[in-house]
Amino acid sequence: MSVYDHREHKVTRRNFCPALSCVGACVFVVAAGLLGMSQGFSPAPARERQIVNDFGARVTRYLELRKNEAGTPPKPTNSPKKLADSREQMAAKLRAARADAKQGDIFTPEIAEYFRHQIAAMLNGPHGARIRASLRHAEPVQGMPLQVNQTYPNGVPLQSMPPTLLLNLPRLPKELEYRIVGHDLVLHDITANIVVDFVPNAIPPS
Amino acid sequence: MTRRFLFLAIYAWFSVACWPQPASPAPQATSSQQATSGATTGVQTQNGNANGPEIDLPLQPKSVRFAVIGDSGTGDRAQYDVAQQMDTYHDKVGFNFVIMLGDNIYGGHLPNDFTKKFEIPYKSLLDAGVKFYAALGNHDDPSQERLYKPFNMNGERYYTFKKGDVEFFVLDSNYMDPTQLDWLDQSLQGSKAKWKICYFHHPLFSDGKHHGADVDLRAQLLPLFQRYGVNVVFSGHEHVYERMKPEDNIYYFVLGNSGQLMRHDFRTTKDMERSFDSDRSFMLVEIAGDKLYYQTVARNGETVDSGSVEHQSQSTSAAAH
Repeated sequence: MSVYDHREHKVTRRNFCPALSCVGACVFVVAAGLLGMSQGFSPAPARERQIVNDFGARVTRYLELRKNEAGTPPKPTNSPKKLADSREQMAAKLRAARADAKQGDIFTPEIAEYFRHQIAAMLNGPHGARIRASLRHAEPVQGMPLQVNQTYPNGVPLQSMPPTLLLNLPRLPKELEYRIVGHDLVLHDITANIVVDFVPNAIPPS
Repeated sequence: MTRRFLFLAIYAWFSVACWPQPASPAPQATSSQQATSGATTGVQTQNGNANGPEIDLPLQPKSVRFAVIGDSGTGDRAQYDVAQQMDTYHDKVGFNFVIMLGDNIYGGHLPNDFTKKFEIPYKSLLDAGVKFYAALGNHDDPSQERLYKPFNMNGERYYTFKKGDVEFFVLDSNYMDPTQLDWLDQSLQGSKAKWKICYFHHPLFSDGKHHGADVDLRAQLLPLFQRYGVNVVFSGHEHVYERMKPEDNIYYFVLGNSGQLMRHDFRTTKDMERSFDSDRSFMLVEIAGDKLYYQTVARNGETVDSGSVEHQSQSTSAAAH
């Protein structure tokens, strides 16, 4: 059995007695079924892979559009005005290119449910307390209504993300990041500083 | 009777006036229990030394010297006072770079915010060729600050740079994703530097009441720091100064009061060696051979902590002055 150890950053192999493995597998199947019933959503691994692949494909399509419509990101400069102008131009081009974009284009209902399930599992898991503590320490942003394509407001801090949460969500390319606003999970375009999409109520109340 | 009273009164006055006065107590390193430096007004008092600032660093030839600021970018009077002290000490210490522990620009990030909260307060240092190397805090705007040349981030959220036999690993603790962790793993593994210094915004250890330690971040970073022999870690976020007891042979400093301040912000635990929470401060650091020397200076120029740590290959103990 292969296990990914996040602390060691490597896959380790563990050998089990076959008889024990059979018993363990039966217990796992029953437990997984019960967990699925209790939480209402527990995609089978193959289906889970499909959902993650679908999410990855949608993200890739966004980046292709971004590259075609908004051009290359700005280079380092001494001028904050140039930085602000180029960011605004990039955001405006993306808004024009995605004028019809709406919540759920990337986080489809099925993908959104997958993210909610992943986050709930982590918050209810063995590291839940420290993830919640990390969220509390990160100066939570509350009461900010979200809209796709909106600029993340100037002067509102970006809430820090607990690393354990990020380790268990699909990896993103460097142009994008996950952020939390209130109870929502935001897909944020770092350079253009716009909300690409979001999952409402991704973070369950503590 | 009246003459006798007058005589006694004159005698008493004369005795008091001519009696040798006890010397004023020397400024002492401040702990959380005695955080009473009295540094409250931002005037440029000079620690009682007419010849300039008190230097608790050896100033050895060819040493690596730098200053540290955290949570600095408020644009208010306190930040400017600290910057002025840094300028005063720069003349004596000759540090040629400053590390910034995040929250470099608070509030808005319009062009005049960069001017008011960075370019004006540190103008003298910038004009003197001092370079600033920024880490991102939760109040920073990564879309702009990583591309702002004076912060020397070269468009990256996390990066490394070397000075002499010291390598600095600058992390984005707001967003410690697997990609950054992999990068850090490889960068630390590949480093040949004698001194490995990591800095980022959120502290792994802190006795501050307001935020405290980020335990989830610690769970991911500490194993890497231990595995690859990181020597010293600097963080901000908590708006105080703290020098923690070494954890697993790694020295931790928190400096989040170079602009902001959270007064009386400590829990009392055994993890802290020295702290200062009654005014703003910055740090001076000198690395020479096997020793790292530090001096923490308050807004009024008073030294609130100083000492040295041995490179972990030489000793496991910190020798505070």
